[in-house]
Amino acid sequence: MNRSVERHRNVLDFALSSLLRRKGKNVSLWVVYTLIVSLIAAIVFYTHALKREAALILQGAPDIVVQKMVAGRHDLVPVGYVEKIAAIRGVRSVRPRLWGYYYDAATGANYTLMASDDPLPGPGAADIGSGVARTLHLTEGDFLPIRATDGTPTLFQVRKVLPYASELASSDLILLSEGDLRALFDFPRGFATDLAVTVGNPAERPTIAAKIAGQFPDSRPILNSEILRTYDSIFDWRGGMMVVMLGVAVLAFVIFAWDKATGLSAEERREIGILKSVGWETGDVLLLKFWEGAAISLAAFLCGTILAYIQVFFLSASLFEPALKGWSVLYPRFKLVPDVDPYQLAVLFFLTVVPYTVATIIPSWRAATVDPDAAMRS
Amino acid sequence: MIALHDVTKSFHSGKANPFTAIRNISLTIAPARLTVLKGPSGSGKTTLLTLIGCMARPTSGRIVLSGNGISGFPGGEEIRELDITSLPERFLAGIRRATFGFIFQHFNLLRGITVLENVMLPAYPTGERHGEIRKRAEELLALFDVARHANSRVDLLSGGETQRVAIARALINRPSVIVADEPTAHLDTDLSREFMEIVGSFKSDGKTVLIASHDPLVCESPRVDTVVEMRDGRILRSGSVP
Amino acid sequence: MTLHPAVLALLVASLLIGGMVLYAGGYGAKILLRWDIGSGSERQLELERRTYLISTLLSVAFALQILSLFLFVFTADRLHGMFSGAMCAAGTLNVNGFGYPVLVLKIVTFLLAGLWLVVNHADTRGYDYPLIKPKYALLLLLGPLVLVEGYLQYRYFAGLHPEVITSCCGSLFGQGQKGIAGDLAALPAGPMEGAFFGGMAATMACGIRFRRTGRGGYLFSIASSATFAVALASMISFICLYIYELPTHHCPFCILQKEYGYVGYILYVALFGGGVAGMGVGVLMPFRRRGSMARVVPALQRRLTGGTLVLYLLFTLIVAYRILFSPFRLAAG
Repeated sequence: MNRSVERHRNVLDFALSSLLRRKGKNVSLWVVYTLIVSLIAAIVFYTHALKREAALILQGAPDIVVQKMVAGRHDLVPVGYVEKIAAIRGVRSVRPRLWGYYYDAATGANYTLMASDDPLPGPGAADIGSGVARTLHLTEGDFLPIRATDGTPTLFQVRKVLPYASELASSDLILLSEGDLRALFDFPRGFATDLAVTVGNPAERPTIAAKIAGQFPDSRPILNSEILRTYDSIFDWRGGMMVVMLGVAVLAFVIFAWDKATGLSAEERREIGILKSVGWETGDVLLLKFWEGAAISLAAFLCGTILAYIQVFFLSASLFEPALKGWSVLYPRFKLVPDVDPYQLAVLFFLTVVPYTVATIIPSWRAATVDPDAAMRS
Repeated sequence: MIALHDVTKSFHSGKANPFTAIRNISLTIAPARLTVLKGPSGSGKTTLLTLIGCMARPTSGRIVLSGNGISGFPGGEEIRELDITSLPERFLAGIRRATFGFIFQHFNLLRGITVLENVMLPAYPTGERHGEIRKRAEELLALFDVARHANSRVDLLSGGETQRVAIARALINRPSVIVADEPTAHLDTDLSREFMEIVGSFKSDGKTVLIASHDPLVCESPRVDTVVEMRDGRILRSGSVP
Repeated sequence: MTLHPAVLALLVASLLIGGMVLYAGGYGAKILLRWDIGSGSERQLELERRTYLISTLLSVAFALQILSLFLFVFTADRLHGMFSGAMCAAGTLNVNGFGYPVLVLKIVTFLLAGLWLVVNHADTRGYDYPLIKPKYALLLLLGPLVLVEGYLQYRYFAGLHPEVITSCCGSLFGQGQKGIAGDLAALPAGPMEGAFFGGMAATMACGIRFRRTGRGGYLFSIASSATFAVALASMISFICLYIYELPTHHCPFCILQKEYGYVGYILYVALFGGGVAGMGVGVLMPFRRRGSMARVVPALQRRLTGGTLVLYLLFTLIVAYRILFSPFRLAAG
């Protein structure tokens, strides 16, 4: 066992000095390798972090949202449903929600207008999300014009800009008092946009949703978990698409690596010939090539992941944002929480180090099977 | 002792340019003696050296090692006689590493590394501790009076110093057989004489020495015990020098 | 199909593995037909050079296969959120008919790949390549299995559509369920505990005896393999209950999740590692005295036996710790 360890140590020693002896070739390989790792790592990290953010935000969302459907389209739900749903066993509370979309022609952006639960903001005042503030260049105290359904613009004074920390959830939000909202949209009394249902035991949510749908055939209960699942799917899908596209880059890298490994310079050939004639056997030279590859892979993997980490979590992944976040006029600005786990690293390993290693097996073998007597003959 | 029985080595058989380097050679290399292979280039000396030195396998025939000097083979301590004809490369290399030390015509030292590392190289795959290999290498360099160059690059040495480093490298694994291919081809008379003196010291250490050369300084040296004359892949004459 | 990066990684891995195995199999066939260690012809020398390449390719392929078993299970676990009704890997695997077959095949190829690596290790230490024919014969068996598994894995992932509702492990591994999962869960805990600890003790005893005296190699191998099977069944039958501290939660996949400290990974790595090593001892037994192997195999078998003993001991200790220190108590019987 000890001999084996010492052998590895000696060969590794020589492998490192070999790499340094051919700086040009190995540095260029390392740079390209690092780039590939960092590109794929950025996608993996970003996708994972987005999913995590979505999950965190949805934790605050209602367990079940009940909407009413008319001819397959979302309609206003009668507040009378509240009592009957609250009576279902397992339901902790039911709260009618009042909200809608508002399209601002001037900026081309869609905002979400919502009635606040609190007494604040009071009549004539609005709390706005930071995305709204940015797009309309508003701060506290400014006036925000909103057109009612009859076309008359009403001015609301901005009481508060919602904190940056809730950016993902509230970026496009405008909070008004219930009275103002009903007046603006001409909301009929006794109706709400949807109902937010809180359920005590998470395991019972699907059953309760089924009961609601049974009691009110015209309703559509949407589970929190379904929303989360949809977001997960989208992020995964988008992330996967990008990885597939980067597959071309990985392929190019693999061919590049193969080429570097096959193109032994005359000096390298001479060296291996000498090694074999002084007593290194094929297995030893293969081990040498393995350690060379491992050293470069480790260096590239480390640097690539660190680069990606910085890019995603400190520089907000400007390269990939559009593809991963989707198209919109209004983007929430947010810093993702760094969250890298061994699983992501394992996936990264499979997508980068493994293709590299496989591509260099045959060239390494060819280099290693030089005849020992080659040095005698040259 | 190394015995060859009816050994033939051919290349490229079945292809466009088949060529037989050695034909039906039978030969015994005596232990602790200096044997010289003499002959013009193309006579098969180098091929014969590679076969004896466990660098290549014969196309036909048998090669048998015997005696106390066999090392590097698992269980070798108990083996008195070993037929190495069909040994796979791994084992052949193990034996070669431990039993044979090679000195090449062009010295064949690695250019990018230090003299000390060059000497240590053959011992790396044995699994010996790095520190111990280093110590032995330093002792060998001191023995051949090139210790002061231990950390220099090989290109900076003179011809004679390079030769002595090459010899030190050949001795790092404490081999019982030294094989040299045209060792004096690039040396002047003084250095050649020096080389033969070092060979003499090998003999007194009980090592077997095998040299392929057509240099009269080597072939006619008083230290030579046996001369084997070769031509066109066959032995013309083989005899002890009285 | 879901394009999760991990899924892509697994598909790429199985493509690479398949490619390497096919290439190696091609040359393996050549070797089986034309190998002649006694010959010094150039063709034989070329074949001997090739064996280095094939050995390397297959070692990498099988190491990758082993890693991809873990990545597969981990991914199935991670994806459970996408399928309504799935709480852990059990649900994800049940989404379409390919999930469990892929898992079973991956386990089988893991074991066979491990065995191949053991035989290859022994063969390369012998000075006359004594095991070369059995080795490549094993490859002829293993190769197609790997390719089939790769194909099924592709079909599995291609058939993963996130909207599908699948069963939670509670209904899959519940005691009343029909099917093998339910049967395993319904095995009475008391006798299973006895079988498990008894099997472990027997394996340890045989292993120690084999290491000391060199006798009873087959017995040890059989004992360790049987214990492997019993331990797997025990995981579902009672071990998981102690980890979850619930009398009805039998699922063997949920222990892989974070809330249980990822203890599932340690348990499975220990069990599978020990199982492969124990089987390796048995596979090498017929060659124990054959020529050059007489020098190599006994030492190798001792190391493998040691490995099994250590890993099984680790497994047993973790299980015993859980049983002794968990506030959960199974009713007698």
